[in-house]
Amino acid sequence: MNRDRRQLVLMLLPYLIGLVVLVLLPAAATMAMAFTETDLIATSRLIGVANFVELTRDPAVGAAVGNSLSYLMFSVPLRLVIAVGLALLLHRRARGAGTARAAVLLPGAVPELAYGLMWLWLLNPIQGPVNQLLMLGGQGGRTAFGTLPPQWLTDPEDARAGIVLMSLFTIGETFVIVLTARLALPPEAYELAELEGARAGQVLRRVTLPLLAPVLAVLVLRDTLMSLQASFVPTLVVTNGGPPPYATTYLSLVLYQDAFEYLRYGYAAAVAALMLGLTAVAVLIQWRLLRRWASHGVVGVGAQRPGN
Amino acid sequence: MTDGLRLRGVHLSRGAITALRGIDLVVRRGELLVVLGPSGAGKSSLLRAIAGLDPVSGGTVAIGGRDVTALRPGQRNVSMVFQSYSLLPHLTVADNIAFGHRIRGADRRVAAARAAQAAATVGCADLLGRRPHQLSGGERQRVALARVLVREPDVFLLDEPLANLDAALRTRMRTEIRAVHDRLGTTTVYVTHDQSEAMALGDRIAVLRDGRIEQVDTPDEVWHRPRTRYVASFVGGPGMNLLPGVGPLRRPGVEATAVELGVRPEHVTLSSGISPVGPLGEVERVEVLGEDALVHLLVGGHPVIARVPAHTRPTPGDRVSVSVAEEHLHAFDTVTGERIPLPAEAAVR
Amino acid sequence: MSWHDFAALRRRRTYGAVAVTAIFASPLLLLLAGSLREPGDPPVVAPPLIPDDPGLTAYQQAITHGDLVRAAANSMIVAAVGVPLSLLVASLAGFALTQLPRRITSAVLGLSVLALMVPATALLLPRFVLFRTLHLTDTLVPLIAPALIATSPLYPLVYYLAFRAIPADSYDECRLADLTPMQTWRRMALPQVRPVTAGLAALTFVLTWSNLLDPMVYLYDRATFTLPLALRALAAMDPHNQPVFLAGAVLTTLPTLLVIGVAQRRFMHSYGPEGAS
Repeated sequence: MNRDRRQLVLMLLPYLIGLVVLVLLPAAATMAMAFTETDLIATSRLIGVANFVELTRDPAVGAAVGNSLSYLMFSVPLRLVIAVGLALLLHRRARGAGTARAAVLLPGAVPELAYGLMWLWLLNPIQGPVNQLLMLGGQGGRTAFGTLPPQWLTDPEDARAGIVLMSLFTIGETFVIVLTARLALPPEAYELAELEGARAGQVLRRVTLPLLAPVLAVLVLRDTLMSLQASFVPTLVVTNGGPPPYATTYLSLVLYQDAFEYLRYGYAAAVAALMLGLTAVAVLIQWRLLRRWASHGVVGVGAQRPGN
Repeated sequence: MTDGLRLRGVHLSRGAITALRGIDLVVRRGELLVVLGPSGAGKSSLLRAIAGLDPVSGGTVAIGGRDVTALRPGQRNVSMVFQSYSLLPHLTVADNIAFGHRIRGADRRVAAARAAQAAATVGCADLLGRRPHQLSGGERQRVALARVLVREPDVFLLDEPLANLDAALRTRMRTEIRAVHDRLGTTTVYVTHDQSEAMALGDRIAVLRDGRIEQVDTPDEVWHRPRTRYVASFVGGPGMNLLPGVGPLRRPGVEATAVELGVRPEHVTLSSGISPVGPLGEVERVEVLGEDALVHLLVGGHPVIARVPAHTRPTPGDRVSVSVAEEHLHAFDTVTGERIPLPAEAAVR
Repeated sequence: MSWHDFAALRRRRTYGAVAVTAIFASPLLLLLAGSLREPGDPPVVAPPLIPDDPGLTAYQQAITHGDLVRAAANSMIVAAVGVPLSLLVASLAGFALTQLPRRITSAVLGLSVLALMVPATALLLPRFVLFRTLHLTDTLVPLIAPALIATSPLYPLVYYLAFRAIPADSYDECRLADLTPMQTWRRMALPQVRPVTAGLAALTFVLTWSNLLDPMVYLYDRATFTLPLALRALAAMDPHNQPVFLAGAVLTTLPTLLVIGVAQRRFMHSYGPEGAS
C-alpha cells in the first residue's frame, strides 16, 4: 500500500509543482506587489494602499470596469443561448448535421490573433464584408432599411457591439458540452411528454431545459470566468481599446498596458487584484444563486451529467 | 360493445431490424392482458406501437373502436409506465404526477388535487412533497403508477413495471396492481418476461416470440393446453419436459412426420418400489426449493425434470421408475411445433 | 404530413444544419477570399467579396516579409514538446486524484479551480521575473512551461472526471492483479478514455499554437518568434496591406483547423436517437 501511495504522489507531483511555481506563487507575488511601487529601474518600495486609491480615480479603470460588466451582461447569455439552440438543432441525426457540428467548432479553433486580424478586416466600415452584406439592397451607402451601417471601429457603441459579436462565434466548447449533455438525457422523459401530447415549446420548457439546468449553470460560471479575460486579444488587435478614449478598454487591456507599456508594475498588480476581486464576486454571486436553486430543486440533484 | 384495443396485422421495423411481424390482437374493454415473452421477443415494441411512440410499418391500431394508427401519441389517450419509471428529477412527486394535466393546460390547483387523489389510490400520498432521488425503488414504482392513474386514459400500458424491484416487493406490488385494476376497470396491457407474474396477474396472456403471437388465452388454457411447444417450454418453472416421441403420425385431421411428447415437471411421478410402473430413470441432481424439490433425471438418455414433494425426494445416483398419467401428456408436431390434440394412442405405442 | 413523416423532419433538420454551416464557416471563407486578393492595391470602397483575380502573391509576401517559415518551425517545436507533456501531466494528475485520499483530492481540486480564476495577465510579471532570473527569456522554454500546469488547470479536472467514471470494479480487478498505480493508469485507465484524450489533445494544441500573450512578453529576438508573434509583427509592419496579413492569418490557422477536424471525428462521433420528435 505504501509503495502505491508513493507512486500516486509522484504522479501528481509535476502538476502540483506547476500549479505552485507557475500560478499560486506568481499570483501571491502579484498581490504583494499591488502594495508597492515597482518598476524595472528603481527598487520597489511599499506604498500601502496608494495604488488602490489611484485605481478609483483612474478614468481608464472606471471605463474598463463598466465595459467589462456590459460585455459580461451581453456576451455570456447570448453565447449560452446560441450554443444551446445549436446543440438542440444538431443533436439528431440528419444529413449535414455532422458537417454543421464541425463548422460550429471552426471559429474557436482559429488562433486568437488570426481571429482578431480576421475581424479587423470583416468589420472594416467601408471595405469590410460585414457592412457590405448589410448594405446589400441598400442605396448610397445605406442598408436596405435606410439606416447607416454600423461604424464598428469608430463609434463607441458599435465597437463594443463588435467585440461582443466576435465572441459569439467562438462557442465551440460550450456547444460540445451542451450537445453531449443533451445526448445523455433519458429518451423516456421525451416519450412521456409525447404521450401527454406536449408541444415543442412545452417539451423545451418542462423537460429539456430543467434537465440540462445543472450543466448550463456550470457553463455560465465558466463563461463568466473566461469572459473577463477573453476580451484581451480582440481589443489589443482590433480596436486597441478605442475608439478613444476608452470605448473598448477592458480590465485585461488596462493591466497589460500598465505593466508592459507604462512599466508600472505595482499599479498593474493592483489592477490584477481588482480583476481577481471582481471575478471572485461574480463567482460567489452565481454560486449562491446555484445553491439556492439546488435547494429548491431547480438544478442539481439526480439529473444527468455530461459524459465528460 | 366495442373492443378496448384492436391490432390488425401490425408490422414494425426499424432499419434492418423487424420487431413485430403481423400482430393480430384484441384486448377486451376493461381487460388486463399480459404480454409474455423473452427479451427480444418484441414486447416493448408492441407497447410502443400501441402508444404511437414507434410508427408501425403496416397494419392498424384501434383504441375503443377508433382507428388511431395515424394519430400522434398525445392524441391517442393512452398512459404508460416505463420500466425505468421515467420520473423527472427536477419535479416533486406531486408535480411528476400532475405533469400530464399541466401539459394539457389544467389549472395548477385542479391538477394538484387530482395528483393527491391518484397518489392516495396507490398508497403514496405521504410522498407528494419529495423528489425522485429521495424515493426507494418501490416508492418510485408507486409514483409512476399514480402518474398513469391521474388521467383517465382509454388504455394503460405498463412496460415491465416490476422488473427493478426485489422479489418480495414484486409479489406485493403485483397484487396491488391487480387490485387497482379491478377497482378502475381500465383496459390494460402489461408486459413482462416473468411467467409467474403473467399467470398471477392476467385475465389473459399473450405469449410473444420473435415478433409473433404464439397464443392468446387465459392463464389456465396457456398452462393446460399450450398451443405450441414453445409456449409449453416457456411457461412454467421450469417449463414442460419435451421428449422425442415416435412418428410419423396420421389420423383424421392430423398429419405429422414426427411427434414430441410433453409433460410438466409437476406431473412426473417417481417411485422407488421394487416393481417398476414405468421406465427407469437415473437421478443426476436434486434441487430443494423448500416445500418442493426439482429432480433432474436421465430417462433413456433424455433429460427429464420432476417436481416432487421435498420429503419424498430421491438422492443423486438413485434409480427410480418414472410414470405419467395419460391425461397429463401433451403432443407436438416436431416440424411445425403445433399442438396435436390427445388422446392419441398412436403416439404412445 | 403524417406525424411520423421522418423524411420531412430530417429534411427540415438538414436545412437547419446547412444554415448553421453557412453562418459559422462564412467568416473563415471571407478570410480566405480576402487573402487571395492582390496585395498593395489602392484601397477601394466595397471591394468584391470574391476577388476578380485571385492569386497567391499575398502568401509569398507574407512568408518572406514575415519570416513565417522559421516562426512555424518554432511553433512546431513548442507544440511537439508541449502538447504531449501537457497531456501526460494532466492524465497522471487526474488519475492520481481518483486514487488519493479525499482530503488531498479536494485540496488539489480547490487549488485548480482557484488557479482557473486567476487572470492570465496577472501572472505575466512574476513569471517574467522568474524566467529572466533563470536566463530563459528569448528561448522557447517559457512557452513550453505551461505544460506543467497541463496548459489549463481545467484539463486535469476533466481527466479526473473521466477516470472516475470508470467502474470501481475495474480498479479493484487491477488491485487484485497487483498492478502498481502506474501500470493501472497505462494498461487499464488510459485506454478507456481515448475520446477524452483526443479532445484534450486538440484543445491543448490549439491553446499552445495560438498562445500570443507569453511570446509577447518573453521573446524579443526575431529568431525565436512563434507564428502568432511573427504574424503580429507582420500586421504591424503594414496595417493597410490587408491581403498580406490575412494570408498570414490563414497560414497560422490551417494547422489548428486540421487538428480540430481530425479530433472532432473521434470525440463527436456519437449520434443521438433518431426518430420521434
